[in-house]
Amino acid sequence: MTPRRSLLSLSMGCALALGLVAPGAAQNAHEAPALAQRVARGELPPLAERIGSQPEVITPLDRVGEYGGRLRFGLRGSSDHNHILRVVGPQGLVRWDPQYTRIVPNVARAYDVSDDARVFTFHLRRGMRWSDGTPFTADDVMFNMEDVVLAGALAPTPPRYKAGGQNVQVEKVDDFTVRFTFAEPYGDFLAELASPLGQHPVLYAKHYCSQFLPKYNPNVADLVRAANAADWQNLFMARCGDIEIPSRWGNPDRPTLDPWVVREPYVGGATRVVMTRNPYFWQVDTAGNQLPYIDELFAPIAQDVQSLVLEAIGGRIDFQIRHLDAPSNRPVLAQNRDRGSFRFIEAASVGGTNMVINLNLTHRDPEWRRLFNTRDFRVALSLGIDRKAVIETALLGEGEPWQNGPFENHPNFHRRLATQYLDYNPAEANRLLDALGLRRGPDGIRLLPSGKPLRFKVDVIPTLQPEQVDMLQLISQQWRRIGVAMDVNPLERTFFYQRTSEGNEHDAAVWGGQASWVPGEIPQQIVPVHHDSRWGIPWVQWYRSGGTQGEEPPASVRERMRLYDQARATVDADARRALMSRVADIAADEFEVFSVSKSLPTYGIASTQLVNVPPSMPSSWYYPTPAPTLPQTWFWATPQRRR
Amino acid sequence: MLLTFIVRRVLWTVPFLIAVSLVSFALIQAPPGDYLTSFAATLAASGDEVDQGRLEALRQRYGLDQPFLVQYWRWISGVLQGDFGISFEWQQPVSNLIWERMGLSVCLALGTLLFTWAVAFPVGIFSAVRKYSIGDYIATTFGFIGLATPNFLIALVLMYIGVVYFGADVSGLFSEEYQNAAWSWGKLLDLLAHLWIPVIILGTSSSASLIRIMRANLLDELHKPYVVTARAKGLSEFTLLMRYPVRLALNPFVSTIGWAFPQLISGAVITAFVLSLPTAGPLLLQALLAQDMYLAGAFILLLCSLTVIGMLVSDILLALIDPRVRYQ
Repeated sequence: MTPRRSLLSLSMGCALALGLVAPGAAQNAHEAPALAQRVARGELPPLAERIGSQPEVITPLDRVGEYGGRLRFGLRGSSDHNHILRVVGPQGLVRWDPQYTRIVPNVARAYDVSDDARVFTFHLRRGMRWSDGTPFTADDVMFNMEDVVLAGALAPTPPRYKAGGQNVQVEKVDDFTVRFTFAEPYGDFLAELASPLGQHPVLYAKHYCSQFLPKYNPNVADLVRAANAADWQNLFMARCGDIEIPSRWGNPDRPTLDPWVVREPYVGGATRVVMTRNPYFWQVDTAGNQLPYIDELFAPIAQDVQSLVLEAIGGRIDFQIRHLDAPSNRPVLAQNRDRGSFRFIEAASVGGTNMVINLNLTHRDPEWRRLFNTRDFRVALSLGIDRKAVIETALLGEGEPWQNGPFENHPNFHRRLATQYLDYNPAEANRLLDALGLRRGPDGIRLLPSGKPLRFKVDVIPTLQPEQVDMLQLISQQWRRIGVAMDVNPLERTFFYQRTSEGNEHDAAVWGGQASWVPGEIPQQIVPVHHDSRWGIPWVQWYRSGGTQGEEPPASVRERMRLYDQARATVDADARRALMSRVADIAADEFEVFSVSKSLPTYGIASTQLVNVPPSMPSSWYYPTPAPTLPQTWFWATPQRRR
Repeated sequence: MLLTFIVRRVLWTVPFLIAVSLVSFALIQAPPGDYLTSFAATLAASGDEVDQGRLEALRQRYGLDQPFLVQYWRWISGVLQGDFGISFEWQQPVSNLIWERMGLSVCLALGTLLFTWAVAFPVGIFSAVRKYSIGDYIATTFGFIGLATPNFLIALVLMYIGVVYFGADVSGLFSEEYQNAAWSWGKLLDLLAHLWIPVIILGTSSSASLIRIMRANLLDELHKPYVVTARAKGLSEFTLLMRYPVRLALNPFVSTIGWAFPQLISGAVITAFVLSLPTAGPLLLQALLAQDMYLAGAFILLLCSLTVIGMLVSDILLALIDPRVRYQ
């Protein structure tokens, strides 16, 4: 895989280089036949007017494609809106490259960052338009930032638009240049903009969405009444959506910058979602063809995952990772590969582990808190896990003992954090526990100083990754040998969330610990700054509230929070890496969390006829899979599928 | 007589519905967390990230941080004015969502009811009159298999066979081209072409149980003295059967009409889920799972009202059919 990957990165690198020097491409551009007909009928302006003078030029992965056909993927009926987002792509100012290593311009044509990483200037594309043909300019960015995000019109301003506790200042330099100025250095800002949640600066079209704001429309109450909405916020959400709510895909009238626009919306009663090409999409290939190649996205809604599997087997799904990638589906999909005429593609893990064990270091009971905060206790538990046996049995042999953090081939790899205390050594574990004064009771279970048995629960969501429960059950048996009683506590996911992240009522919990510590990603297992850091929820609250809520963490955690903030402020990749490495050093010293195995790649399926789909892509929300591989460059190899 | 009975029953439904609305709202609220917790959890399950600040803001806007009674009052006072509120998940008025799917649910429930009767009535009578004949054994065997197999399993098996051996899609109620099209003859025919599969799947177990009930009831009646009397008076066997014992044995058919009404919504939720039917059931289930309170609450309120109406209708029908019923 590695040589292929580097080749891939090479070709994509060229694409990006070309993308930056776009001019001239628009002159001899080509368009989809259906659009050419509409131009001929006078329903659409000519292509050159639609894409402007500075469209982004994309080099397709394998070859220049041909127009036509539909791409089918399966949606679920509830809370699956982010699946659409992942395929259509978060068209923000910048995006990740296909390898998830570099940030490249997207809606912005180019950007400049000041040396002190406080001032970010974005150059927009001249002549670029919204999907309804209205020009996209700096005024749209100003509307999004000033009237929506910074005004807190719908929600408090997200921390991503703040530095040093102050909101970013946004100014319009000219019609095609905007400048974001922060009070303090903020090197991670571009990565924040590249993640799906960073799309806000270019999410809403001013000419359409401003009609739902009282500031622009004094008669908004009439609209609210006419639409039977609760208030103008509700109306705004219903018509213009937000980054990750279903109604974003519920209004065919909303102008977007996406490659495909909604024709049949994702609404409560829908049985399918259909999206058609955006005639004003602002990317072309190297031959000057306007993207996307594929005419429409077609997503039937199945309520049940098993019906999705059946759809795949029946050859009615062209591309899918989400929902299908459970290991249990793999045999039946592999068996029916020919019937469904699809191939497997790898959804590569970015690093880290699929199950990290978080003892609650901020436990409500002081006795447990004292014990969990004892480093030797945690080391003993780690040494008490026979990782090879767990991998052999619960993971069917696929895995490699691992603690935490990025893999060896990643620049952020931290050897000690990843590989310390991996060997199964029950004798040493028993010695450590004996030394802590934890005597064994009559049944072989050790006793706490108060005389209570050493028995605690590990919370887990059984439906998320079913193998986590199997792994925990094996670990429970293994820990019994060192006198530790652990009960697996499977919880419905809402209950899990409430008990752990909101309530801090848990003894311990497990969670997926995929991590590569690149900018934009939250390193929740080495510094507690996120509600998935279930080893110190009150510390998270302390950090996020600026010290007014939660509990003040110990010095080592505070130091890591400081270093992490500093890393987020740093632009220079090496300097940032060095800072993250210091965070990892401290995390390795403290050894707060531990795991079993490296996280494995999952898989997806892609039709054998679909061209330009890479055989492997990183699997991550921050990326988000598969959008940066540019589905708008995928196309059908055979004429039958292009109809 | 009958009129006072009906008026009294109608009046009783009012306090009953109020109680039901309170209980159902409490039940929807009973699981831990609220819509936003479950929203965050669902997204996390797919590896997506949620903005916590946004969730908090929404929680306040939706009033989810308010005490239970305040939330209930907000909801029920709206309902009394015909406003069912906004679905959190879809940002749409609840009333739009509900009626959109009710039509097809009615269609499916009626189709299933007719199918069930068409099968259970003759087969039930046959297997009672020809007890222990080959035909009775066959009907009984199928009846027990139908009773014992969960509907959704039959659905899954049929879907698998359809996909793997015939390359056909048996899920849904419409072909692709008619899914979002306006109503037309073509669409109606298309619906009928798809409807028979879920109707059979949903109808098997209820027909099976009705066959068994019909058979047992009829067997009780067949040897009663009035049958012997009627036969002695020279009535033809068919007229005799239809006029007396069958009329009494019909009782269960009529009393189950009351259940058929709530079936419009809740009937076979899981089967509809598996078959991806665009009926009300899956939407209700989704709303409950997502704790989308106002949507789920409206469905449950509707469900209860339909049950009450259905029971009323079947009581009246029973009173008409069965002379033994008294209006007490």
